[in-house]
Amino acid sequence: MQQEKIEKLLNDLSNRTEEPVNQNLAYQIKQHIPDALSAHRSGLRTFRIIIDLRVGKLVTAAAIIATLILCTAILNRSDTSSSLLEDGKFLLNYVFGTSKTSAGLNGDISIDGKQVVYYGDNIDWKDPNALLMHWKVSDGQYRVMFSNSRSELVTADELIKLQAGMLQKKGK
Amino acid sequence: MEKERDSLAARLVSGEHSAANELVDAYYRQIYLFMRRMGHNRQTSEDLTQDCFLRAWNHIDQLKNTRALSSWIYSIAANISRSYWRRHKREENIDDFKLVLAVAGTNGIQQAQELEQLKRLMTSVEMLPLKFRETVVLHYMQKLSIADASEAAGIREGTFKSRLNKALRMLKKQMAL
Repeated sequence: MQQEKIEKLLNDLSNRTEEPVNQNLAYQIKQHIPDALSAHRSGLRTFRIIIDLRVGKLVTAAAIIATLILCTAILNRSDTSSSLLEDGKFLLNYVFGTSKTSAGLNGDISIDGKQVVYYGDNIDWKDPNALLMHWKVSDGQYRVMFSNSRSELVTADELIKLQAGMLQKKGK
Repeated sequence: MEKERDSLAARLVSGEHSAANELVDAYYRQIYLFMRRMGHNRQTSEDLTQDCFLRAWNHIDQLKNTRALSSWIYSIAANISRSYWRRHKREENIDDFKLVLAVAGTNGIQQAQELEQLKRLMTSVEMLPLKFRETVVLHYMQKLSIADASEAAGIREGTFKSRLNKALRMLKKQMAL
């Protein structure tokens, strides 16, 4: 058999092979498109933490370290009193507390492609139920993280209540 | 078409969210079929297609406007397929990864012979060593140009051509049996 004939058959094979593709596949893939699609990202396989602060490399590096420390602490909940968590809190406060923003860093941090709203410079660290940060997980659902490293999945209404509670405490 | 792809690439690089949706619509079927043609079963092909796009979001910085979108996404897909086979060797269910041959028109003798030839060729392609199979699949099945296919395979054009020629010789030999 000539090589040209093989090439023609390969082309035929390509045109005549078919298989229905799962209609949900595109939808499932699109669900994982990060909110903040960016060409300048630093990713970790587990958390895919992306910090895109526009306040200098040193602060960015510190923010990455701080977020990593906090994430490590979340995974190891029995160790919430450890110096690691305390260091994480300190670094977070240092990095974000000295930034030029006053109401958090909405949109400046993203974890796993999700925009994270950070409240660290406005919270009372002694209050274990103080809301530290939140990010959207899916429509109507948010992951919230408290100052004691506890993490919960809440609805939009519950999140509003938590935010309102924080404002009330701050007002007192 | 090429201009549209360049523009899509530029929008992806600039971080446009809608461009990511368009990329999925334009390529998810092709990548899925690429995985199937590389011998992965249906479920694995779906998983690997998802992995391919997840990796794409994290490697948008590697996408240059001047670089073909196809070769970029296929290079990610080919890498994922290769590393899957490195980890799993040949554990797949061989019965599951035959793509369906479409039969057109009436069942004349000539058509039956053609179909038989195509079935034999499909089996022969499946029996090729992975690196040769990859070249055949990228160029003939996925219709990538030699330049794009070689970039997707991560090898030089000359190497790709010689690999392709060798694959064709192997197929020719198998088909002659």
